[in-house]
Amino acid sequence: MKKKLLAMALVTAMSLSLVACGGGSDSGSGSAEGSGESAGGAESTGVSITIFNTKSEIQDQFVEMAEEYSAATGVDVEIYYSSDTVAAHLATRYSANDPYTISMVDAKDVYSLGAEHAIDLSDEEWVANTDYAISVDGKVMGFPVCIEARGVMYNATAIEAITGEEFKPENYDTLDAFQGLLDQLVAGGMEAPTGIMKEDWSMGAHYLAQVYEEQSDVEAFVTSLHEGSADLANNEKWNSLMDTFDVLMKYNYAAGSPVAAEREVSEQKLAEGEIAFMFGGNWDWSMINAYDYSEKMGMMPVPQNTSDGSNKKLVGGGSKYFIIDSSENTSAEQQQAAKDFLNWLVFDEAGNKFLTEDCALVPAYSNINADALDPLSISVKAYADGGNLIGNYDYLPDDHYSKNGASFQKYLAGQVDRAGLASEIESYWSSTTPVEH
Amino acid sequence: MDTSSMSFKCKQFLMFAGITTVTFVAVVILPFIYGLYLTFTSWDGVSRQKPFVGFANYVSTFADAAYWQALGRTFIYSIIAVVLVNVVAFILAFLVTSGVKGQNFFRAGFFIPNLIGGIVLGYIWKFVFNRAFVAIGESLSIGALSTSWLATTNGAMLCLIIVSVWQYAGYMMLIYVAGFMSVSADVLEAARIDGCTNMQSIIHISVPLMVSSFVQCLFLTITRCFMVYDVNLSLTNGEPFNSSVMAAMHVYNQAFTYKNYGTGQAEALILFIVCAVVGVLQVYIGKKAEVSA
Repeated sequence: MKKKLLAMALVTAMSLSLVACGGGSDSGSGSAEGSGESAGGAESTGVSITIFNTKSEIQDQFVEMAEEYSAATGVDVEIYYSSDTVAAHLATRYSANDPYTISMVDAKDVYSLGAEHAIDLSDEEWVANTDYAISVDGKVMGFPVCIEARGVMYNATAIEAITGEEFKPENYDTLDAFQGLLDQLVAGGMEAPTGIMKEDWSMGAHYLAQVYEEQSDVEAFVTSLHEGSADLANNEKWNSLMDTFDVLMKYNYAAGSPVAAEREVSEQKLAEGEIAFMFGGNWDWSMINAYDYSEKMGMMPVPQNTSDGSNKKLVGGGSKYFIIDSSENTSAEQQQAAKDFLNWLVFDEAGNKFLTEDCALVPAYSNINADALDPLSISVKAYADGGNLIGNYDYLPDDHYSKNGASFQKYLAGQVDRAGLASEIESYWSSTTPVEH
Repeated sequence: MDTSSMSFKCKQFLMFAGITTVTFVAVVILPFIYGLYLTFTSWDGVSRQKPFVGFANYVSTFADAAYWQALGRTFIYSIIAVVLVNVVAFILAFLVTSGVKGQNFFRAGFFIPNLIGGIVLGYIWKFVFNRAFVAIGESLSIGALSTSWLATTNGAMLCLIIVSVWQYAGYMMLIYVAGFMSVSADVLEAARIDGCTNMQSIIHISVPLMVSSFVQCLFLTITRCFMVYDVNLSLTNGEPFNSSVMAAMHVYNQAFTYKNYGTGQAEALILFIVCAVVGVLQVYIGKKAEVSA
């Protein structure tokens, strides 16, 4: 009997420890928890909110900010981060009835999640100060965190060292002028002045998407792609952008084996002036600043022989959006605290400083000044302030970048010609269902 | 005490296997059944609604050419990798049991790649293929090495196979070593007295007595190769032009990146069935070949 009791006790102890392990690992899985303890200052209000961050490069800044914010306002803020696919990660939190109070998501997630999971922010004061908020069914739901834009990144220091004169990107907005400069650089000793990121998201989601976004009527063009009535091979924007891509390919430092070029290497070459141009966006700064970068860098529109003005504009807009959870798991006080936090970002000096200085993001709000940005973001802000951004098209199907990026890689590797690439893209579109919006 | 009564048996079972059974059901059986249910819905992975669509996901699975290509690719990769892993592992095991100097050191050395883990291994080898080999190729002007193998379709597959052999050969070697050790010295001595050469005693004595090692190694390598994901992700990420996407990676993309959770789940189920059939068949055939001394 004694033995039996002992065995039962052991079994109980072991199962309890198992339960404890299970419970423990649940809360910490995959997320870096920020400490949300208030360090003196304002008295705790007892309200605590959670923020889900999806930009890894600013996670440390968020954690620091959370402490300061808690100290100043008494609202307990906890920061989470995950490198998972945003929607997939949030789905696990939704099904566990443990959603984040504020989640940072991509534009397309606002459309797919907003109706079910986000609260209406139409009455917030900041709505009037931005052009980039996202509305779902007529209600503002997405708070734009920053502006990001695509274009050709340049290293002016390296260019000027060869040409001997000041580099003015606006002088090279046509493909002819651009190619002339490339030839001049080659003659001056820079063997291959361009780089190309072969990543499928760069070519499929960023470069190819410009073909749609620069059409005079984007919706109609995408619809015609779906219906199979669009003639991509004879489309003016397609040919114009592909002409430019061909030039970028011709002067590519990795022309011998372009699909083996590693992004790290290309960015380093651009940063250090070994190459002068590469298609990319201001998010690339987080990689460039890891190297010994040149003093004068920036971004310019993709040069094209066109008169439609698209060669004077970057392509981009709001990037990363905050949504506030609408489920019963988030109390009214928490929702109010979350709204207050968004207001703090836009209207409080400390909030502005956090966005533009600590995180070096291009603000999406007209009342926020930003002087301490990185060189690429300074270019983006200049174009954004001048109204020279061509908007993102947010309704591309989820597999668009991967499948067309793969086709584009074939083109880069010389396995299909331009007509072949056009027909692969057309057949992709005719086999996919339109994204509802 | 009545040891044949039902209640006693239940108690015994609960005491010894209760916790594991509960855990197994909770983390394997229930998710499996739930997954099966999801294959009949058009769930996108996020939404609260899970509309029931019958067999639509299976229809689109059969229509998904990229999936069958990935599966075919996985077959080719698995066959080559399984053969190479086991051949290399067997040779290594023979060498490190033959009494060479420092054989424990060699055993540890060959085993280490298996401790590194697929993701890290993939990044290390990506560096080797993209930079180290290319640098060597360029400085010695060897044509085959001067461009990265990872940039070509066949090259990328070759790289995956090389890395898998590197990763698993050491692990399988340990199992074969155990096999070699389990062959009793008496039998080998008897064979030698009867005039067997070294080669003959390996082929006719050691190998038949080690069949259980072969069964284990083949089972482990086959299932791992079919389910390969980590090395695939970090070494090639499906590139160039999605030509090195293996079945597991396609399933992941389908479910999470393309947000067709139901279809992805249905494809995963088919992958599971293929794996299970191949694995069970192989074990069944292997067991038949086992002999006892």
